[in-house]
This record gives sequence, C-alpha cells and structure tokens, in this order.
Amino acid sequence: MNTIVRKQMSINTDVMDMLNNQIAMEMKASASYLAMASWCDQRELLNSKAFFYKQAEEEREHAMKIFTFINDNGGAAISPSVTNVNNDFESLRAIYETGLEQEIAVTESIFKIFKAARKADDFITEVFLQWFISEQSEEEDTFRSIIDVFDLMEGMPLKMIDERLPKE
Amino acid sequence: MPVKNVVNTNNSYQIQHITFCKYALITPNKIINLSFPQMLELRRKINALTTYSALNSIIDNENFVLLFVADKQHLIFLEIPQLLKLKDEIAAFFQEAVLA
Ligand SMILES: [Fe+2]
Ligand SMILES: [Fe+2]
Repeated sequence: MNTIVRKQMSINTDVMDMLNNQIAMEMKASASYLAMASWCDQRELLNSKAFFYKQAEEEREHAMKIFTFINDNGGAAISPSVTNVNNDFESLRAIYETGLEQEIAVTESIFKIFKAARKADDFITEVFLQWFISEQSEEEDTFRSIIDVFDLMEGMPLKMIDERLPKE
Repeated sequence: MPVKNVVNTNNSYQIQHITFCKYALITPNKIINLSFPQMLELRRKINALTTYSALNSIIDNENFVLLFVADKQHLIFLEIPQLLKLKDEIAAFFQEAVLA
C-alpha cells in the first residue's frame, strides 16, 4: 500500500465501507437497548433498566470509536440513519434473549471485517478490531449469565429476578 | 498541468490524479477539481447509486441521475452507461492502494 491513495488514507476503502456499516449496526444496537431500557423503566425493573441504559451508552461509544478511527485514518465516516427500532416486547427474558442475539450478530459482523482487513493487508484495522473482539466475548458472556439466572429462578416473581441481575 | 491536455472524446467521466491531494473528475464538458474527501464522497454516492435496486429504480424512472459533486459546487448528469463506467473508474482508482 504505497501508492496515491495510501498517502491520503491508511486503511483499505472496502474495509472502510464495512466499518461504516458497523457504525450503523452499533447505533442500531444502542437504539434497541434504549427501547429495552424504557420497557424496564416503565415496569420499575430497576437493575434491568440500569443495565440497558448502560448498554445503550456503551454501544454509542463503540460506534464513536469506529467513527473517529475512520476519520483519523483519512477515511470518511458516515453518520448513519437508524430506523425500525422495536419498542414492543413480550417479557424481560425475551428482552435479554434478543440482546444476546444482537450481540452474536455484532460479533459475527466484527469477524467479517477482521477477515476482510487481514485479506487486504490492512493491519491498522486488524489491530484496531482486536479490542472489539475481546469486548464481544465479554458481552456475550454477560448476556448468557443473565439468561442462566432466569433458568435458575424460573417461576419467581419478575421483580425478585430483577434484583438478582447485574446493573451493568 | 497535465489535466489540461485531456481530450474527452468518448462521452465518459474519468478520474485523474493531479498533485498530492488534488484530483480531477473529467466530464464530457468540464473538469471538476476534487479533494480527497470529495473523492471519497463521490465514491460513496456512485456506489449507492449502482446497487441492483438503485439501478432498477433509476431505469424505472427518469433513466438518468443528477449528482452533486465537490461539496455541491457542481452538478453532473449521468446516464446509466456513464454511471456504470464511472463506478469502475473509481473502483480502479481505489484498487491501486491494495494492489501495490
Ligand atoms: Fe458494541
Ligand atoms: Fe454490545
């Protein structure tokens, strides 16, 4: 990578497109967690609401990390539009299950970008994404542990289960 | 400036690199100077316009596109063949970075 474009931009253009899609995915995740936080907040599920407000913030931070990374490397970060946010849920457990599904989808998406960066010899992006890979493994673990609590406490009142859940 | 010598005979749009961070879009009737960020924006717009569904909707409607370039300083007119050629031209331009 030592030609004209390389002098302006230190990451691969196709990888940049994927990173821009990832920004949109993180912002969508943020909006989705905000909807979950609201559902919990309205039902006085104190730990869960704190958990999802925090998640919503963290997802925005992830988006911002990628956003500034693209621009810092000479690319063009795109502010995404977020549409079709679901605000309608059937249960607290279903919310956490949806959260886990969302996290798994994010992990898979990060893997794809990682592979593309590797293929394009885009080492800068590859190293940058390593943090996201460890982060995703922690996130998935958090959600799985919470769903385990639901299994253990099956049949207990919702508020009692909520009291056993982590706030972040 | 090498760009002045370009004679555009085939009605297509071309990209030329002029200096370190100066590029030019050579259109059938004018030459538009572009900075690198403006090049990236042009690439993004052209890619968005040439997806399968975007092309279909262009064909179903006016059959051409009007596109602002260089921070909205210029408006260009593209018919489908020109649009597709410019997409290839831009892809080739950015491809250099990977092949080298
Ligand atoms: Fe995230
Ligand atoms: Fe997450």
